[in-house]
Amino acid sequence: MKIIIIGNGIAGNQVAFTLRQQSRENEICIISAENVPEYDPCSLPYFLGGDVEKKDIFRKKIEDYAQHNIKLVFNNKVVSIDPEAKSVTTDKGLEIGYDKLVLAHGGDLFIPPIEGIGNPGVFSCKQLLETEKLFSHNGSCAVVIGSGAIGIEVAEALKKKGYQVYIIELLDWILPALFDEPTAKRLETAMEGYGIHVCTGEKVLRIKGDNGVTSVVTDKQEIKCDTVVVATGVVPGTLLAKTAGIETGRGIQVNQKMETSVQDIYACGDCVETIDACTGEAAMFQLKHNAIEQGLIVAKNISGENAEYLGAHAFARAHFFKTHAATFGKTIRGTECLLGQTEIFEKESGKDYLRVVLLDGRVIGGQAIGKYADTIGLLMSAMWRKDDINLLKRKWKNIVQSKKADKLPQIRLGHIFGFGS
Amino acid sequence: METRREQLRIDPKKCTACHRCTIACSMKHHGTVNPHLSRIKILQFKNQELNVPVICMACENAPCIKVCPMNARTKASNGSVVTNTEVCIGCRACMYICPVSGPAENPYTGQTMTCDMCKDDEAGPWCVTACQYEGALTMHENDSLTTETARQQAGRFRKIYS
Repeated sequence: MKIIIIGNGIAGNQVAFTLRQQSRENEICIISAENVPEYDPCSLPYFLGGDVEKKDIFRKKIEDYAQHNIKLVFNNKVVSIDPEAKSVTTDKGLEIGYDKLVLAHGGDLFIPPIEGIGNPGVFSCKQLLETEKLFSHNGSCAVVIGSGAIGIEVAEALKKKGYQVYIIELLDWILPALFDEPTAKRLETAMEGYGIHVCTGEKVLRIKGDNGVTSVVTDKQEIKCDTVVVATGVVPGTLLAKTAGIETGRGIQVNQKMETSVQDIYACGDCVETIDACTGEAAMFQLKHNAIEQGLIVAKNISGENAEYLGAHAFARAHFFKTHAATFGKTIRGTECLLGQTEIFEKESGKDYLRVVLLDGRVIGGQAIGKYADTIGLLMSAMWRKDDINLLKRKWKNIVQSKKADKLPQIRLGHIFGFGS
Repeated sequence: METRREQLRIDPKKCTACHRCTIACSMKHHGTVNPHLSRIKILQFKNQELNVPVICMACENAPCIKVCPMNARTKASNGSVVTNTEVCIGCRACMYICPVSGPAENPYTGQTMTCDMCKDDEAGPWCVTACQYEGALTMHENDSLTTETARQQAGRFRKIYS
C-alpha cells in the first residue's frame, strides 16, 4: 500500500512513524513544502529569544527518515489532488500516485489586509524560515500585531533580545480566545511590569516605510518602530482540499475516523475542523496535543484498526518571564450561547488568581495565574469526569472520612473550592 | 522497544507525613536534604487528618509528553516519564496538564522534575525504602499494580457476601 502524507509537521510525522512502527511493508512518502526535518513550531519563539539552540527545536533528524524507510520529498507544495486517478500534483510538476492520502499540511498564517503588509520589515513566527529571518534581523523597536499565544511568546522573545516591544490587539483584552477579561487584565498588568507595552482595542491601519518599516499607524496613535511581527492567528489550509472536492467548513471536515468526504483521503492536524471532546460542538483547537492524537487515530485507521477520535480539547499556557498562567476549556464568553446556568468561582491572593467556569454545577473551563495554576490539572480532570460540584459539596464530609485512594482527586478538588475550611 | 513498566503505589491511609521519603528523594537526586528538591510531595490536609503523597504516576499515555513545547518530556526505558533538563525552558505546561499535578518545580532552576523510579539504583526507589515501615509507598512492576488492587477489591466483596 502506498501512503502519501502531505505536510511534514507534527501530525504528518505522527502518522508516518506510527504506521511504520506497526508494519514495515507499506510504502510511506511525506511531501514537505520546506526543506528541513520535522520541527516543533511551539519552540520557535524560544529559539528566537535565545533560550534554546537551533538543534533543540527539531523533533526528528534527517537520518531518522531513512532509518524508518520513509521517503521525504522536500520543497514541493502540493497544488491539486485528483481523487479519480488517485494522484497528487506539486508546484514543481511532480505527479505522485497514492493508495491512501493523508492531508496534514496544517494552517496558513492569517495575513490581515493592512496597507504595507508586504514590507520586508514585516515578519512572522510560524515557520522556521521566517523565524530565522527575524532572528538575524537587527532592530531596536518592534510592534507585534495580534496577541494570541504566538504573539505573547514572540513579544517576550524580542524583549529578551533587547527590543522595545509593543503589542497591538484589536479586541478589548490580550489572549482573547483563551482568557476572560479579569484574567487577561492581570496578565496585561504583569506584561507592562516587564516593560512590554500593551495596546488593546486598537486597530492597525497602515505600516509605513519603503524598504524597511519606519512606523505603524493605528487608529489611536503612531508608533515609531523598525520591526513588525504578524501574529494574527492561523487559518486552516482548505484550498488544497477543495481541488479534490472535499467538504470544508472552517477547516476540512472529517468524521470520527478522521476520514474526509472523499474515500481514501484522511486529514489531521491544524487543517481539520473537529468537535470539542467535552461539549460535542464543532470546534477548532489548533494545538499540538490535538495534532498528535489525531495523527495516531489516522494511523490506526489506515492500518485497519477501528479507532474513533473523541474530540479535541483546549489547553494552553501563557508564560512570560516569571509569570505563569494556564487555561483550559471554555471561557465565559464561549458559554454565552449555551443553555443552563453558568457560575463563576473566583479565588485570589496577591498576584495569584483562579477562575473556574461552571455550567449547572459542572466544571467546563478554568483559568489560573501563579500558584493556583499548579493544580489546574485537577479541575481539568473534573471537567472530563463531569463531577457535580454541588453534590461534592454536600457529600464532602463522607468522602473525606472514607480516605479512599480513588476519592483522592475529589478530596483535592474540594480543597480547591474551599469546602475544607 | 520493550519498556519495563514500574509504578509506585500510594496509600494515603498509611501515610503519616513523616517526610522521610522527601528527604530520601532529595538526597538521591541532589545530594542534599532539601524538601524543595524532592520529586515527591506530601499534601497535608490538617482538618481532615489526611496526608496524601503526590508523585508522578507514570501514565501509559502521558498528556505531558504531548503538550511540552520543547519535547523535553520523554518516556524512559522503565516506563517513567522524565524531563530532559538540557532543553526544558520551565514553562510548566507539564505541571498544568497533569491530572494529579505530579511534576514538581525545581525552585533553583525553574525546570520541572518528576520521579524516575531511581532507575540507576539496583535496590529500587529510595522513597520506598524510606517508607518500608509505614508501607504507604510500594513499588510495582508490570501489571502487578492493577492485579493487587483487583485482589483487594475482591477481598472486600468476599467479606460482604460470605
